Amino acid sequence: MNNKVIKSVGIDIGTSTTKLMMSDLTLGRVSSQFALPHFDIIERKVTYVSEIISTPLINEEEIDLTQLVAWLEKEYLQAGLTISDIQSGAVIITGETAIKKNADALIHYLSERAGDFVVAIAGASLEAVLAGRGSGSYEHSMKSKGIVANIDIGGGTANVVLFQQGKILETITFHVGGRLIEINPSGKVLSISPSIRPWLFSKNLQLEKGRLLSLTDLTKISTALAVDMLDCLAGKRSIHSLDLLVHSSSCEALPRIDEVMISGGVGQLTLAGPPSSIEEAAKYNDFGPLLATSINQKLIDYHFQVIKPLQTSRATVIGAGMQTTKISGATISIQANRLPLRNIPVIKISLSVEEIERNLLIGKEMFGSNERLPFAIGLSGSVYLTYEKMKDLSLVIGTLYHKYFPRSEILVIVCENDMAKALGQALQLQFAFDVICIDQINIGHGDYIDIGEPLTETIVPVVVKTLAFRGESNENKNNFA
Amino acid sequence: MKTKITLLNKTYQFSNLKEILAKANEEKSGDQLAGIAAKDAQERLAARHLLADLTLNDIRNNPVLAPEEDEVSRVIENSINEKNYQSIANWTVSDLRETLLSDTTTDIEITRLRKGLTSEMVAAVTKIMSNLDLIQAASKIEVITQCNFPIGYKGTLSGRAQPNHPTDSIQGIKASLYEALSYGIGDAVIGINPVIDNAESVKQILQMTKEEMDRFIIPTQNCVLAHVTTQMRAIKNGAPSDLLFQSLAGTESGNKAFGISVELLDEANDLIQKEGTSAGPNLWYFETGQGSELSSDAHHGIDQVTLEARCYGLAKKYHPFIVNTVVGFIGPEYLYNSKQVIRAGLEDHFMGKLQGLPMGVDVCYTNHMKADQNDMENLAILLGSAGVNFLIGVPMADDCMLNYQSTSFHDIASVRSVLGLRPAPYFEKWLEKMGIMENGKLTERAGDPTIFM
Amino acid sequence: MNEGQIELIVQKVMEQLQKRFTPDHNIARENVKEIIEKGLVFREQDWKTSIPQPAFKEGVAELTASTPARIGVWRTGTRPLTKTMLKLQFDHAAAIDAVSSEVLEKYLEEFNLFTVETCYENKEVYLKRPDKGRVLTDDAVDTISSRCQKRPQVQIVVSDGLSASAVETNLKDVYPALIDSLKINNLSFGTSFFVKGGRVACMDHIGDILEPEVLVLLIGERPGLVSASSMSAYMCYRPRKGIIESDRNVISNIHPLGTPPIEAGAHIGTVLRRMIEQKVSGVKLEL
Repeated sequence: MNNKVIKSVGIDIGTSTTKLMMSDLTLGRVSSQFALPHFDIIERKVTYVSEIISTPLINEEEIDLTQLVAWLEKEYLQAGLTISDIQSGAVIITGETAIKKNADALIHYLSERAGDFVVAIAGASLEAVLAGRGSGSYEHSMKSKGIVANIDIGGGTANVVLFQQGKILETITFHVGGRLIEINPSGKVLSISPSIRPWLFSKNLQLEKGRLLSLTDLTKISTALAVDMLDCLAGKRSIHSLDLLVHSSSCEALPRIDEVMISGGVGQLTLAGPPSSIEEAAKYNDFGPLLATSINQKLIDYHFQVIKPLQTSRATVIGAGMQTTKISGATISIQANRLPLRNIPVIKISLSVEEIERNLLIGKEMFGSNERLPFAIGLSGSVYLTYEKMKDLSLVIGTLYHKYFPRSEILVIVCENDMAKALGQALQLQFAFDVICIDQINIGHGDYIDIGEPLTETIVPVVVKTLAFRGESNENKNNFA
Repeated sequence: MKTKITLLNKTYQFSNLKEILAKANEEKSGDQLAGIAAKDAQERLAARHLLADLTLNDIRNNPVLAPEEDEVSRVIENSINEKNYQSIANWTVSDLRETLLSDTTTDIEITRLRKGLTSEMVAAVTKIMSNLDLIQAASKIEVITQCNFPIGYKGTLSGRAQPNHPTDSIQGIKASLYEALSYGIGDAVIGINPVIDNAESVKQILQMTKEEMDRFIIPTQNCVLAHVTTQMRAIKNGAPSDLLFQSLAGTESGNKAFGISVELLDEANDLIQKEGTSAGPNLWYFETGQGSELSSDAHHGIDQVTLEARCYGLAKKYHPFIVNTVVGFIGPEYLYNSKQVIRAGLEDHFMGKLQGLPMGVDVCYTNHMKADQNDMENLAILLGSAGVNFLIGVPMADDCMLNYQSTSFHDIASVRSVLGLRPAPYFEKWLEKMGIMENGKLTERAGDPTIFM
Repeated sequence: MNEGQIELIVQKVMEQLQKRFTPDHNIARENVKEIIEKGLVFREQDWKTSIPQPAFKEGVAELTASTPARIGVWRTGTRPLTKTMLKLQFDHAAAIDAVSSEVLEKYLEEFNLFTVETCYENKEVYLKRPDKGRVLTDDAVDTISSRCQKRPQVQIVVSDGLSASAVETNLKDVYPALIDSLKINNLSFGTSFFVKGGRVACMDHIGDILEPEVLVLLIGERPGLVSASSMSAYMCYRPRKGIIESDRNVISNIHPLGTPPIEAGAHIGTVLRRMIEQKVSGVKLEL
């Protein structure tokens, strides 16, 4: 097979800005002619980037869908692409925008209209990872001995991901963003985000709408914000002690960070000099430039080595457009007419026997309402499977699946090891339901997975959403309702 | 030309030069497989006596493969300097042997002689030389070449770092490379045999090796041993390749089986001259090995030693930086046991050096040959004595991608230590700077790949 | 199936699985006793040597995990440590034994394979004269002519090639997975058999006699040190004399630590189906 090019889109709808990018992902064979076929994305190339626009809002609580769609249509036209050209990609809704009233509806609406296999993603943790991949931190960590943190600071949140040698260690998100406090050029406070209020209160930095602030007043706030966040990243303060500022975290304590990259809109502003007047500071009608300046000035006091990012404002959108799609193994079992499948929860089962039935029951409990396809089974474990073991495994899984989900017409299995074709065939020969069995995809418990239509007869694009879309947006709602 | 000989009371009649050349060879399973070997030891000696008495003129006038039929023959024929040839045309093959071995024949004299020799004459004299003859004669010849940095000086022994990986994992290749460098290996070239023969993959490996060379300022050159057309595509896409690699055969049809021709090599040569990343002037890395023509049924009834000599005749045209005979890779149907491998290694090294090539040897065997690691250690020391330019360095001699055994980083370090040989001069200075070597000896720090992490 | 039957099957299979997946602790305990009684017991980790004082301690594991190459082994003077050297010699010993040994009958009986021979005579001739391993003996020609189905859609042949242990290790996994894949792809197959002393091109001679539409040969590869038990699957559309190398397709490196045997077997059916659809094999086959 000659190299195949997949057109991929990334759309990032953030607290303050929205952007889009198009890219070409080149699919190529990465195994020798004498081995089983194995394909991967061998080249990623940005082909188009949009202007960065202000995220259109109807009011503080609602995104302006009509305006957004009109803008997207214009951008597609300008990029010379139609929706049918786009085969993969992701729409990500980030920061504070994710808590807008119509965010959930919007993101699914868009993902279904942006192209063939464009997935919807949201969640602070995923956002942090995508920004880190888009900014160049991930690549940098491959060449570095130490732990690299990418701090992506947008309008509403600072999403931090820690990489070591290309592995994701932890993520943490702060209520730190350039648009949390909006001001006009005379220093009058236009609005204060509810997410920052408890922290301001605790710091005795009471603000109210309409109050006039000096450059010094504002700098005091931005400096305190920068110091608290950096103290937490440097391990000087515990995550727990800063729970008013921490939005979410994957851990209780962070490992020691050696290098940092700062991306996002505020990251872009750190590259400019400090504003000299309140007018200059308020040129975007928010305190973003001041936050950037404070971070820049305070960073010197910490042990971190600061690395220049390759991308700043567009880090997340580039990550979303270029890094979300994975390629399955090329020896798999699929029924093409069943694809694409979107947003399937994953129940992970390791190859130890007690777990199979227990986990299927857990899955029934959680997702049993969907009788047609309740969940996908993730098979982990690097045990070498003989034919006999594989046959037994297929019999157990198939029989139990049929027992608990008698109405299901389809079984989806995602294996980490290269075994999907053998396992899928064995299941197909023994059971009546359709089988989608793919491999060489790493997934975890609680992940959601999208499986696209085949790119060739034997390869499917896959997007693994490492933190559950629904789960996290619910959590957001609980926090801020 | 004489084709008949009587030894004591027994008469042997041969039909042509090709048959005499084949039957004069030391026993090789490849010649037996081709059905051209001497049927017994005495016939072998009869052929060898006759060959010793033939003149260089006889050999040139009776081509084993006519230039009209074969482009490799044409390349060899065109390279002859007529004046130099005329001055030795009446020498017998025996005269040539004795001249080469004479105390009074220096490297400079050999340089002059070489211009009048065809590859077939070189093969002929090899057949009447013993193993120690081959070592003695080769040890006189110094061939210095330069890609980024020069190698090949007398008193030095270089190593190719061969950090292959079964799936071309960049991390895995890098890990073995660090190990090689920590033992002082890699001055000849950092050369990877890829599993995946496509331009993108080749480019990735070249980029990684180049980055490492830049990061530690390593005075060496990089190369990925894919097919030449794949490397050309990678270079056109901006891959940083110091050297171009290709396997060569001794006949036009053998090269066709490799997917190459003189025309293609000329084209590739133009490209590397224009777009290669190294200083030069020597920009090629060739590999050869006895038996490859027979394996592709392109041998024209010619024995494998003569065909091997012709590979070098072709290689010479492109002034390579390094030439490597992969002596025991091809299998027992060509070289059955260690005795045959050792002989072939010494023959190839000598034949290449006599034709002015920077010869290295991949001292190696496959697991279905009657040979083991001890045999390789023997041959490595013999070649070290013969002045081989470089050996191949593989972690513990076991190549986990090509599935054969060669020489290890330890082995090259040992040959250097036993024979008092040094790495190439710039590389030795670098090893000293890195604290890996002092006064030609490995330091305490050597053997620890994590010093590069 | 009713509820009761399902329960029964599940219970039965679970019990079997339980046994296979769980390590037997009794055996482990016995080992301790055996060490004293039997002397030295060598396991994989006992061959391991290490760098005494690496510059970057955590780095060693990272490097060695990234490649099967024998790195991070350390040295004494310029020579390897004793255990590293013995390990290399041990792996070589396994490789040469794989070349010289013969496939035990019981591995073939499992799939009802009968045995025929090529003209290879003996192991030495086999190694020196690959041409002889490409031709079946007259007896073999008679045997397969009388015992095998003529002109099958798929003909499966198994051969020791250069590694008897490749067949012993992998056939039990590759073969049934291959049969599954033929069923899934709606392909029928003829009478399978074993060829002793076979080379890859014995496919051509067999093709001339049985005239299958496609033939797959499962044959032991030249042993390496990583695995002495590696198998290749060679596939060809209408094999016959005069076929050249580039007319065949191959999946190589099939063994438990390489290309997974069950997955290789499962993939063969797809390749064979495409050969039949496209009426071609080798480099011209679109996969």
